[in-house]
Amino acid sequence: MNATATGIPLKEPAVSAVAGDTEQLERAYIDASTRVPVLMFYASAMAWLILGTLLAGFVSFKLHEPDLLSNISFLTWGRVRPAHMNVMVYGWASMAGIGTAIWLMARLCRTVLRYPLLLVAGACLWNLGVFLGIGGILLGDSTGYQWLEFPRYAAIILFVAYTLVASWAVLMFRYRRGEQIYITQWYLLGAFLWFPWLYTAGQLMLFAVPVQGVLQTAVGWWYANNLLFLWFGAIALGTAYYMIPKVIGRPVYSYHLATIGFWTYALFSSWTGMQRLIDGPFPAWMITASIAATILTMIPVATVGLNHHMTMQGYFPLMRYSPTLRFTVFGAMSYTVFSVVGLLISLRSVASYVNFTQASVAYSHLGLYAFFTMVIFGSMYYIVPRLVGREWRYASLIKLHFWASAYGIGLMTLMLLVGGFSQGSSMENPTLAFSESVETVLPYLRGRSLAGILLTASHFIFAYHFGLMLLGLGRTSTVPTFLNPVEAETSGGH
Amino acid sequence: MKGLAPLFLGIFGTFAFSWVGLTVIPNWQIGHLNPQSDEEGTDIYPQPQSGMFERGGRVYVANGCVYCHSEQVRPEYAGADIDRGWGNRRSAPRDYIFERQVLLGKMRMGQDLANIGARAPAEQASPSPTGAAAPAGSPAGGTSPAAPPVPQGAAPPASPAAKQSPSSSPPAQAASPVPAGSPSGAISPATSPGSSPPTAVAPAGPQTGIGAPWPIQTVGEPPMYSAAWHHVHLYSPRSINVDSNMPSYRFLYEKRRTHEQRSADALKLTGADAPPEGWEIVPTYDAKCLVAYMMALNQSHSLKDVSSVSGAPATPAGAASPAPSPVPAK
Repeated sequence: MNATATGIPLKEPAVSAVAGDTEQLERAYIDASTRVPVLMFYASAMAWLILGTLLAGFVSFKLHEPDLLSNISFLTWGRVRPAHMNVMVYGWASMAGIGTAIWLMARLCRTVLRYPLLLVAGACLWNLGVFLGIGGILLGDSTGYQWLEFPRYAAIILFVAYTLVASWAVLMFRYRRGEQIYITQWYLLGAFLWFPWLYTAGQLMLFAVPVQGVLQTAVGWWYANNLLFLWFGAIALGTAYYMIPKVIGRPVYSYHLATIGFWTYALFSSWTGMQRLIDGPFPAWMITASIAATILTMIPVATVGLNHHMTMQGYFPLMRYSPTLRFTVFGAMSYTVFSVVGLLISLRSVASYVNFTQASVAYSHLGLYAFFTMVIFGSMYYIVPRLVGREWRYASLIKLHFWASAYGIGLMTLMLLVGGFSQGSSMENPTLAFSESVETVLPYLRGRSLAGILLTASHFIFAYHFGLMLLGLGRTSTVPTFLNPVEAETSGGH
Repeated sequence: MKGLAPLFLGIFGTFAFSWVGLTVIPNWQIGHLNPQSDEEGTDIYPQPQSGMFERGGRVYVANGCVYCHSEQVRPEYAGADIDRGWGNRRSAPRDYIFERQVLLGKMRMGQDLANIGARAPAEQASPSPTGAAAPAGSPAGGTSPAAPPVPQGAAPPASPAAKQSPSSSPPAQAASPVPAGSPSGAISPATSPGSSPPTAVAPAGPQTGIGAPWPIQTVGEPPMYSAAWHHVHLYSPRSINVDSNMPSYRFLYEKRRTHEQRSADALKLTGADAPPEGWEIVPTYDAKCLVAYMMALNQSHSLKDVSSVSGAPATPAGAASPAPSPVPAK
């Protein structure tokens, strides 16, 4: 295979230090240069993750206990919910994603990170933007468009911060060495270029020169959907394309499949989104086009899934040892689940049941958590030790983190999907009072709160572990921390 | 892949395709609609909205109402919106052209509000001050929030109504304070007590009060969906419907000392919610705007390009809407 571009096949430095000394040194040198900006993005992301998790728990409990602290304006459900979503989307997911993307970019361009100040300034401004945005939402300044709730003053700061990061990425590309552009770089470059266009288009068409009437809703969903696919999805897929081959030490199964997967992903997933407006006051072709595009996204799902699967073929037992691999493979598999669920709830016959129910919340969590966040967790387990020069301290904490996250998101998805279906079928039955449909879903929402407790535990564990690493309290060792003791043949095998 | 040029072109091309296809073209198609009018140009719909409406919309957004309430009626072939009395026809793009921010919504933890204004009682039908005069001591219902509201007869048995008194007498009471505006008002007293409907597979007649959004109309409360009702509901949702899942919005209200006389807009609260003697609860300007916003949500006017469902209960006789005929427009 010709996927050899940038040192991808794939030896782990720590294991075989004698092999390629210069490459070894070069990598260590590049990693060191990314240290400050990447850790800064990661640390901020972790702080936002904890805040977002607490807000999430609050939102989840308030939904079935509406009287909880409802007399305080900035803690009313309708304000905390968008605050939670935006903390997660812009605070946690975007910042962690950018952190991983920076590190991958530097490694894959095979050049030391230049202009770190651009990134440091970007991270500071980004944090400021999110902070002001959340404050604005809680004080009643929300704009009311999903994932664009930040008031304009925060949105502008966020955009400036983003420009700094993106211009850095483009500069990095200028300095890259090597002819080949690896698969991961396609996705990252795509994400870095799609986001500003998307964000600008959303801001302009909704706030600066607002479109008329119901089109605002269409533009809003177009934005939210593309943010999910072309920003988060692209970063996560790119990361998975790097981490899986890297950890198992084997090139990607098929470069051609990857090409097909990338272009069909870009083409079809960007056309989805309007299915959320199903039966709404819109021209039918918009909705139908998106449903068709959702069906066509099965092509990238199949090709990407097949590619990862064939790469992993025979190496699945490694998930027993490598934290990175375990999280990344979970995320990559969730991409398939996420897409299939997305397809199911888009079909007209199903959508008439689950439209306007909690099922759509399940869908967003599948995408943003089970898929994106799990992949990013995996990449952090890989990258952070290379930045701080220490290995993760406790294998047991990593295991706890994984299982709490996996069970948490599994339970949450299940509760919201099943709850959504029963809520929907009560709502579709006009002989039942409307309040019946709400009653129906409440037990599931309590179950969701339970799942939320698991996720909260998982995030606190991870944050603690990450904090230890930042403080230099990780293990000093040349061997990465494995989840289970590695027998001789596995560790030395490749 | 070699070379950046094809990659860049592809990345821009795919996104441009989506951007043009899903936002620019729809904007050509339905982005510049005008109100419709009849031949004489007198019956113009929709009409520009008031300043209070605009501000109310912002209050609605600021407090995240849109995360639980939709403002769109689906067509009769999809979902039960029309059967529930949420409208007499599907929503169309033209309905929204004068709203600065359109809040179609994606979740229904609460009812659809597209026609909440149309469901308000007509002006003349609103209750005389009698109800107002006796805020705390109304005889039958609602003196304590613990006392569940009286179920409306048509409520299905499996429903929470089962927790409440199953007797069929309540509808008679319920009728007394003129449940004028409620879509169910039209049908309730006569049809429901008899048809104690559990097993009835609810055939044909979708109008049979099924859509009763809240089961009750207790004596002494303002008529359902009137402005006064909205204020009480925002202030204390569970005093109106014990099963309500809505948070209360007390921070939109102000508690203050009564001067010689109660203010005209003071809330008529009962039971535990009632302020102590000498105090009253009045809406802030934001709360008034929010209610004005809701009272103006009304898509009952017929549209030429959308057929209305005849006989649907959404437009109570004499409601503010000028739309006389629920007859299909074509």
